[in-house]
Amino acid sequence: MHVTRRQGLMGLAAIAAAPAGFITPAQAQSRAETMRQVTGGAVNTLDPTMPGSTREAFGISMNVYDRLVAFGRKQVDGNWLFDHTQIRGELAERYEISPDGLKITLHLRPGALWHDGTPVTAEDVKWSLDRAVSAKSLAVSQFQTGSLTSTEQFRIAGAGVIEVLLEKPDRLALSNLAVPYAIMINSKLAKQHATAEDPWAQKWLQANTAASGAYKVESFRPGVQVVLTRNEEWKNGPLPFFKRVISQTVPEAATRANLIEKGDADLSIDLQASDIATLQSRGQVKVASIPQSNGFTHISFNTRMAPFDNVKVRQAIAAALPYEDMFKASLFSRGRTLYGADWTTPPNADFPQPLPLKQDLAKARALLAEAGLANGFSTSFSFGTSTASTSEPLAALVQEALGKVGIRIEIQKLPDAQLNTMQAEKKLAFYTDSGTAWLPATYYFFYLYFTRDQRWNFANWENPRIVELSNAARFERDGAAYETQCKEMISILADQLPLLMLWQPNMDAVMGKAIEGFTYQFYRQVDFRDLKRA
Amino acid sequence: MSAALGRPSLLRHAGWVLRGNLVTAFALGGTALLVLVALLAPWLAAYDPIATNVANAMRPPSAAHWFGTDQLGRDILSRLLYGARLDLAIAAAAVSLSFVLGAMIGAFCGYHGGRLDRAVGRFVDVLMAFPLFVLAMAMVAALGNQVQNIVYATAVINLPFYIRFARTEVAVRRQAGWVEAARASGNGGARIVLGFLLPNILPNVAVQISLNLGWAILNAAGLSFLGLGVTAPTPEWGIMVAEGARFISAGHWWLVAFPGLALMLAVLCFNLLGDGLRDILDPRMRT
Amino acid sequence: MLAAAGRRVGGRLLAAIPAVFGVVVLTFLVMRVLPGDPAVYFAGGPSAGQAEIDALRAEMGLDRPVPVQLMYYLRDVATGDLGRSLTTGQPVMTDIRQRLPASLELTFTALLLALVAAIPLGILAALRPGSAVDHVVRFLCTMGVCMPTFVTGLLLIYVFYYLLGWSPDPTGRIDIFASTPPEITGFLLLDFALTGDWDGWRAAFTQLILPAATMALFVLAPLARMTRASMLAVLGGDFIRTARAMGLPGWRIIVVYALRNALLPVLTIAGIVFSTMLGANVLVEKVFSWPGVASYALDALQASDYAPVQGFVLLMASIFVVVNLVIDLLYGLADPRAVAE
Repeated sequence: MHVTRRQGLMGLAAIAAAPAGFITPAQAQSRAETMRQVTGGAVNTLDPTMPGSTREAFGISMNVYDRLVAFGRKQVDGNWLFDHTQIRGELAERYEISPDGLKITLHLRPGALWHDGTPVTAEDVKWSLDRAVSAKSLAVSQFQTGSLTSTEQFRIAGAGVIEVLLEKPDRLALSNLAVPYAIMINSKLAKQHATAEDPWAQKWLQANTAASGAYKVESFRPGVQVVLTRNEEWKNGPLPFFKRVISQTVPEAATRANLIEKGDADLSIDLQASDIATLQSRGQVKVASIPQSNGFTHISFNTRMAPFDNVKVRQAIAAALPYEDMFKASLFSRGRTLYGADWTTPPNADFPQPLPLKQDLAKARALLAEAGLANGFSTSFSFGTSTASTSEPLAALVQEALGKVGIRIEIQKLPDAQLNTMQAEKKLAFYTDSGTAWLPATYYFFYLYFTRDQRWNFANWENPRIVELSNAARFERDGAAYETQCKEMISILADQLPLLMLWQPNMDAVMGKAIEGFTYQFYRQVDFRDLKRA
Repeated sequence: MSAALGRPSLLRHAGWVLRGNLVTAFALGGTALLVLVALLAPWLAAYDPIATNVANAMRPPSAAHWFGTDQLGRDILSRLLYGARLDLAIAAAAVSLSFVLGAMIGAFCGYHGGRLDRAVGRFVDVLMAFPLFVLAMAMVAALGNQVQNIVYATAVINLPFYIRFARTEVAVRRQAGWVEAARASGNGGARIVLGFLLPNILPNVAVQISLNLGWAILNAAGLSFLGLGVTAPTPEWGIMVAEGARFISAGHWWLVAFPGLALMLAVLCFNLLGDGLRDILDPRMRT
Repeated sequence: MLAAAGRRVGGRLLAAIPAVFGVVVLTFLVMRVLPGDPAVYFAGGPSAGQAEIDALRAEMGLDRPVPVQLMYYLRDVATGDLGRSLTTGQPVMTDIRQRLPASLELTFTALLLALVAAIPLGILAALRPGSAVDHVVRFLCTMGVCMPTFVTGLLLIYVFYYLLGWSPDPTGRIDIFASTPPEITGFLLLDFALTGDWDGWRAAFTQLILPAATMALFVLAPLARMTRASMLAVLGGDFIRTARAMGLPGWRIIVVYALRNALLPVLTIAGIVFSTMLGANVLVEKVFSWPGVASYALDALQASDYAPVQGFVLLMASIFVVVNLVIDLLYGLADPRAVAE
């Protein structure tokens, strides 16, 4: 007989008598082996390379598809954190890099199988890599950052051996094979669904999978939920603990918090900062708070728009802001701050690292006067609706603080699509947003966020020396020289202030007390393979 | 109907209804209180509604802050008092805009008939078939969430009703004796509509106006919940409720309870007032 | 008789075409006025550049002038193709087919709940107009309207789920660990009943209660108010006086004679309320993670994803037309005089 887990509302008398339902041992067992994650966002595709795929879609694809290689993890302050400096094999058993850095040889794991039971071949891998650089998808531009641009760079060198050839020794070529876009696809299956106008089976792969990963998709309802079941044949890593995973979209953050606290859901990584402290103090849940080490929240100036084209104005604003209050009101101090450092030359080449930003109203007024704007000016300050809970208090404080030095701010809360459009068209004067780099190498941050005419150049910044340094650092083989180049870029940034780095918000993973092994991943989603229930 | 009855009789009747109807009296009192609070906000509020004090954030109600403080340490009571101004202004502006526009368009259509009437009728059909809250959302998203755009969006939602209503009422009276008389004494169409016909339908829409005032406030709150409301740090009840609702689960109840009560009181008063007006104006109720 | 009814239905549907057409065009234009560019939003990978944005724009046909886009869109709509959603990656038609039953089930239940409460309350008020009972009823019903639905919903969740634990977790249509019934109608209550799975039926029903109650509270007032007014009018009528004079028992007069005659206006209001609810339950669907069409349209609107919003509005307009038609036909059945135009 099928018995519901909870009785629920069935008339007041019945409820008063029996508040909870009864559970059979078999159901309790299957519940214990099921992981239920609740998320604010939704999975919209099973192919992470599809334009518009959400972060939640990346997360699912990491569990369903294998990549050739994967990042390792390390423990910091009792929490697990991804480690991009350690690259281990996944679908490839091992790899070698030639001494000149121009050839990466990958050896596929013998006996690896696709979900349909057929063996993984070098042809499949070649097809998957070709697809990443050929099909119209998000993978193309990502792979460019690893100097992977053409199908000729991927070569089958014997049974189960693949070679990746490079023109220059790009330091991120191998790392790019570990990102969410670098999925390995069962090419025989995918080709059956390819058509003349869709040779890479992109339509079919949005709603279907041709994968080899640790989990199989049991059901997928876009925008509602995804259910995964464990792939018992998976040999490309230790078999995960959870037999079943449910990732469900629950838009209300307060409801997500309630679900975890009541024990009905096991894990949520996107609760509101304001709820975390309360949840922690009530003691029903476990919280892993890990600063998002590859991300940053910033306030950007449009450096090609008056008056922000004047470096003195940017420095004046940097000196006028109440960083500590902003951090407290916006994030309830949950994160790692990137302001308030005390150096004149950067102590190391890490990035993002705290920059010397401090509130000093007298300095701010002096700088404004030097810029010829002693009486201040008027401008707008924008942020996106989806970040309102953290950006709204921030904006109110920015408005108030700048009012003290005569700068009048009109706050604009924009729907995200509009914010993104204006960002891409460089029409925003002054705004707050955040960025995350999948591959947190210092040069990569600068290349991605501070060069070129593209959307992610938040401050619309053009600095010839930064362009030169970031390009040189990319192919620099000498460790010391690389470090010098990175430090110089950081110094220029701290002096020119195209944007103000504020902080790295915590990823606060809130979970049932028995859940263990949560790891902060560079794509800011949950790798279910790491988790277990104690 | 109401025109036939003299003013004194209507007033006497109103007094009678109020005496016998505590609910309407309550609504009237509540509305008066709200208007008073809105007018006197600067003198009543103990704190600046937008001045922050992060060191004093998230404090529960106390002697210094009767309704507690919010995420930025602002005094919730002071924000509520100032919010009354903006909320009443949004509601009044939105409803009067839709009433004036709707009644004028409807009245001219009803009076003249013909092709214009049919065209407007079609347009109203289109608006009526629209899911109106979604239309409001789209309008605010398209125009930006400034206060005036929220007013426009709310006004558009109510427009079809006023057009229809005015059109029917005017069409019925177009041939009435006193309208003929006005026409015979040399009054033009515009003058007849504005001077004679519109004032006559006013009492009958009063009920709807009162109900719409309440809806306008709720509508603004709903938009705020979806991130399409008034932008911070402007004190407005809807956004205070919408933001406060996020803190229910963290136990900071005062952030949503007080703005929620204020909003409820306002909407309740407007709605009950509408019902009361209906009683006062409904001839069947007069004995 | 049947032929006349058929002609009538056909005529009404034909007459509704211009309005629906207007809705389609208006929505199309409103979406194009939105300042967000869907191509920019969706080409939003961590390293996407202008090339990706342009490619996506071309693929979506957004590089063509707006009138041309409109012509293509109208052609597609006429052939039953509502376009593809970027937010879900599926054809809009598929999304709507999956999600509409959820919205309809919720709205029907809420309306039923509201009617069950509003009609007795309205009658009670009408029997003693001006009395304390009348005022209390009015006050209570009005209380329901004056809270924003999202606050009511969040409060109900907090009290009945979080504090008391009486209600199942407020996420979606069915307990996430329970098995769903085979899809027959898409209405869970019907499907469970058809397959005879009564435990499943009860589970689905308990999930429905809170969101339906949230919506019902909001529409109680207009329904009760209309019941009261229409009962008052009927109770003052000659035939009631005659019935009373003939010595028929009081409850019989009220239920059999008065209520039957008073229900028609209530039905009209219920129809209007139904169409409004279906479009306006965005907030309830959001709060309860209800996989319905309104929250679907909201997500799309926030992402400037044109096709789903357009599809949703078209759907709502069509439902509006159909509901009006049904009310009209019911009127004809109940009162043949109403048919004569």
